[in-house]
Amino acid sequence: MYAAVVNDEDRLDRDQTRNVVRRSLEFAEPYRTTVWKAIAYVTIVTLCTVAGPVLVLVATDHGLLDHNAKVLNLCVIAYLAVVGISYIASRQQYLAINVAGEGFLRDLRVRVFDRLQAQSMAFFDRNKAGVLVARMTADIESMAELIQWGLLQFVSALLLLAVTLVVMAATSWQLLLAVMLILPVVIAASVRFQRQSHQAYLDVRDKVGQNLSTLQESIAGVRVIQAYHREGEQTRRFFGTNRALYGSHLHAVRISVWYFGFIEFVGVFAVALMVGVGGWLAHQGSVSVGTVAAFVLLLSNLFDPIQQLSQLYNTVQSAGASLHKLYGIIDAEPDVGEHPQAVALPRTGVLEAHDLSFRYQGAERRALAHVTLRIEPGERLALVGPTGAGKSTLAKLLSRLYDPTDGFVTFGDIDLRVASLASLRERVVVVPQEGFLFGGTVLDNIRVARPDATDDEVAAALASIGVLERFEELPEGLRTEVRERGSRLSSGERQLVSLARAALVDPAVLVLDEATSNLDPGTEAVVERALEYLMSGRTVIVVAHRLSTVRRADRIAVVDHARLVEYGSHDELMALGGRYAALTEAWLKAQPVAPPADPA
Amino acid sequence: MPTAPASTRSGWRLLWSVLRRQRRGLIVGVLVGLAWSAGKVAVPRLTRAAVDRAVIGNGSLLFWAGLIAIAAVIAGVFAGWRRLVAFRESRLTETMLREQIFEHIMRLHVGYHDRTQTGQLMSRASSDLLQIQGFVVMIPITTSQLAMVVAVVVVLLTSQPLLALVALAPLPLVNLLAQRFSRSIHPAVLAVQAEQAQLATVVEESVAGVRVVKGFGAEGVQAAKLRVEADDIRRESLQAARIRSNFLPALDLLPNLGLIAVLGIGGHRVLDGTMSYGQMIEFLQYIALLVYPLRNLGMTVAFAQRAAAALLRVDEVLSAVPEVVDPAMPKQLPEQRPNGAVHFAGVRFGYDPDAPVLDGFELDIAPGTSVALVGETASGKSTVARLLARFYDVQTGSVSIDGVDVRSLALGDLRRAVGIVFEDTFLFNDSVSGNIAFARPDAALADIEAAARLAGAHDFIAALPDGYDTQIGERGFSLSGGQRQRIAIARAILADPRVLVLDDATSAVDPSKEHEIREAMTTVMEGRTTIVIAHRAGTIALADRVVLIDGGRVAASGTHDELLASSPRYREVLAALEAEVDDDDDLPTVKGVG
Repeated sequence: MYAAVVNDEDRLDRDQTRNVVRRSLEFAEPYRTTVWKAIAYVTIVTLCTVAGPVLVLVATDHGLLDHNAKVLNLCVIAYLAVVGISYIASRQQYLAINVAGEGFLRDLRVRVFDRLQAQSMAFFDRNKAGVLVARMTADIESMAELIQWGLLQFVSALLLLAVTLVVMAATSWQLLLAVMLILPVVIAASVRFQRQSHQAYLDVRDKVGQNLSTLQESIAGVRVIQAYHREGEQTRRFFGTNRALYGSHLHAVRISVWYFGFIEFVGVFAVALMVGVGGWLAHQGSVSVGTVAAFVLLLSNLFDPIQQLSQLYNTVQSAGASLHKLYGIIDAEPDVGEHPQAVALPRTGVLEAHDLSFRYQGAERRALAHVTLRIEPGERLALVGPTGAGKSTLAKLLSRLYDPTDGFVTFGDIDLRVASLASLRERVVVVPQEGFLFGGTVLDNIRVARPDATDDEVAAALASIGVLERFEELPEGLRTEVRERGSRLSSGERQLVSLARAALVDPAVLVLDEATSNLDPGTEAVVERALEYLMSGRTVIVVAHRLSTVRRADRIAVVDHARLVEYGSHDELMALGGRYAALTEAWLKAQPVAPPADPA
Repeated sequence: MPTAPASTRSGWRLLWSVLRRQRRGLIVGVLVGLAWSAGKVAVPRLTRAAVDRAVIGNGSLLFWAGLIAIAAVIAGVFAGWRRLVAFRESRLTETMLREQIFEHIMRLHVGYHDRTQTGQLMSRASSDLLQIQGFVVMIPITTSQLAMVVAVVVVLLTSQPLLALVALAPLPLVNLLAQRFSRSIHPAVLAVQAEQAQLATVVEESVAGVRVVKGFGAEGVQAAKLRVEADDIRRESLQAARIRSNFLPALDLLPNLGLIAVLGIGGHRVLDGTMSYGQMIEFLQYIALLVYPLRNLGMTVAFAQRAAAALLRVDEVLSAVPEVVDPAMPKQLPEQRPNGAVHFAGVRFGYDPDAPVLDGFELDIAPGTSVALVGETASGKSTVARLLARFYDVQTGSVSIDGVDVRSLALGDLRRAVGIVFEDTFLFNDSVSGNIAFARPDAALADIEAAARLAGAHDFIAALPDGYDTQIGERGFSLSGGQRQRIAIARAILADPRVLVLDDATSAVDPSKEHEIREAMTTVMEGRTTIVIAHRAGTIALADRVVLIDGGRVAASGTHDELLASSPRYREVLAALEAEVDDDDDLPTVKGVG
């Protein structure tokens, strides 16, 4: 369960609160009728709750004290009816509130996710994955708690408080005055407790986090701990955070002990007060005995809601804070969006970079500066350069995963920024370095690239890169679940899935972040061959890490310190004797052991 | 969930031992709770007397109201006290059990940890303990509520037996319904959580695989998956809401039937004069008093069942026996120079005893020399290190250091003698110096620096924002793979082991930095027995001697050049290694911590 807790910095100001309420009403619009129904049911239930003691009052004064059995019987029948009505209305209120609430949450989930997905790569680079996932999970789930029971309780507590006070006022203002001696004290104590316990709760949450993190670290690092024989030391360290957690638990309990003790006291003391004051008033003849009895029974209708409201206060606040963040996501305009008058890209064409510059948001220096390139259809271009020089950034700009800060990229003379996103993804495909798999079957995973592809088309794509048989040999062929135990794909096979996706799209331009790290030896050659199939006849831009790949390219672009420093064929650049020649030499040196006897 | 009677019994035995440890606190809690019950039960009786004698009659209002006020003070004080004791004791149970689990986990052999997921152990020490804590907290509360229920029933039955029977009739239903509610809402809540987890998976894969999603424009596919999961959550949540709507209104309203019975039957008796008005008010109050305890008692049953299951799981961890422990009469390593002779004699070992990884494995390493272990993936080269440090024990044969079998050494002595740099570098959420001084927390800064220099880590550490005090790990500064490995090497050196094991300390290193690591390793290995587990060809050249492991035993041994010339199998394995590894991209490695 997610703790309903807000930090002070999360607390919303008046404008933000108004905005959250306004947006929430918009989101709740489809469920308007259900919400009204829910409110109607809650009102009925509240009235029924108050009706019980009132009926006892009437029965006492007009039935028992007036010796009128008929009134008594009527009251009993009425009470039964009230309970019956209350039961039906109460069931309906649960259902109505949940139908509206869960619908609201469902829409919120869908809309936040759609908006997240519409964001550019840059957005995902800026925001930590964990935070984005938390928005979609913890933040929304913390509201589920509110919707399941909190909202209902909040509304009915307020209503109950109001109706009870009205009934009390209508019955006896003198006794209400006596009640008013206690009520403010209860409210003050509840508010104070709410504040203190909130602080204590934040502290507990903090300590729980620290303790869990020590625990997790110790379990994950148990081999190192044992290797260095630090079990004792680590245990002492853990005891430290564990006892700190105990301490903050105790602190939280101490705070609540006063409050709950006080509430228990007040509940009984109010009875004493009603009996004392009410009895005296009854002797004076200004209130009836039935009124005194009714007040005794009504008291719990006053104290319970106050406790509930003070506890709910935090839940409501944290839901407000969550909603504020979520609406923030929904309102964020994607920065790589579709142009209003977007046009489709031609089937094939020259890919050109015109004086490209790019700066990552928040970075001081440009990651890429003034790069101009022209790649003919069917040409193979290798991007090389030291780590962090900007070669990956260049590849991302050429495929419009980012928009350049300055300059522009064209394909067949059309600026990528005015190309429709659908046609862009059909013409230019980026094969990521890691063969990432989604949950689902092999078929599902390949079809990610073209959701409307038939099974045959997927099979054809696999066949086109020469690996269909390999996947058909899996336990359940192409319908094998990739995440299930026992059918885990090797890193090479994941790569093949990745390549098959690209083959399914059949693009004009292929952008590859060379993907050969940690491959199992068995599939290494297969991946190489599949890649060759895939590349043939297409424009290829490859971010290269291996000499062999670079050698197979038609031309090579050397990127260093954000600039294109050399550009030409292998032989041209070797003849130049510059950065590329030096890099090639370093590459050769990085393999100090002579290659094993090579028959070729 | 295992339900074998023997283990159930041992689960309860665990609880019993915990409760006995805290018996004083718990007894106080129960007594305080009983005092609270007495206070609460007195109130309706006092109210009745006050109504009959002082409100309707002419007795002293102040006296009776005063008595009720005294009951109020008693109820308040003891309610607070009971809460204090209940939570203090239950949190203490949780805290102590967690420490017990932690201490035990730290002692459990590596084989156990290889089989057990971190997450499982985590939930033993967190969510399962919360279930147990929730149960312990109920002990003083449940007993006092039970006492109250019994007292009230007795009082009512003795004063107006027939009315009492009718009025109390709906109340057992409250208890029964509460039990059934707890039991049926629990799976519904779990189902909601399961659907939430599935949705989280879709979100996680969409975020983690964002490159694929963006690269292929697959937003629509993921959006469709998410809609399915969001609809599933809604469906399961509504199912849970339906269960709530089936039970909660009934739970709320059933006691009212008792109140109505009192009003109807009691009212007529008041009219008959066989019962006083005050008595009727007393009945009404008593019925109201019973509602919460009965509801709670119903929930307690389901709660206890869940706590029992949690206890079983905790007990399962606690009763796992550490397989690698100190010998009864530990021997000492001989004080000699040079030291660090390693000898594997006829070693047979398999993670699955029937499928040996090493079989008839013989290896002799002279003090101060270095050996590179070469073999295909899963050939057993890393296993050699695990046996040396006694992460696992051999099935047959022996492993010895300086002539002493590792099994006859105290674990502390053995592991001080063997320093391992693991393949996947694990650093702690601590400062750089804290990480290096892991084996010797009291090491002087000068020693730490010296170790860092040897490992070639000093320069980049000095350039970090806070130098050696820089916090690293998931909440601190993130280092590159190569930097992390050099810190791990420094950590191993500072411990000054007789035997150093480097499990391919260069796999996550930027190729341009690889030579720096290699230089560092060369310095470190000088004059120290070193076993290099080579996953890449470049590392092999560092060692004096190369040993090829194949088929569970040493297939060939000699210098790199000798083997290259004489062993075709060696050439094959090298070629496979070459193909297996390649440099990483420009991303800093975050694997290992957290």
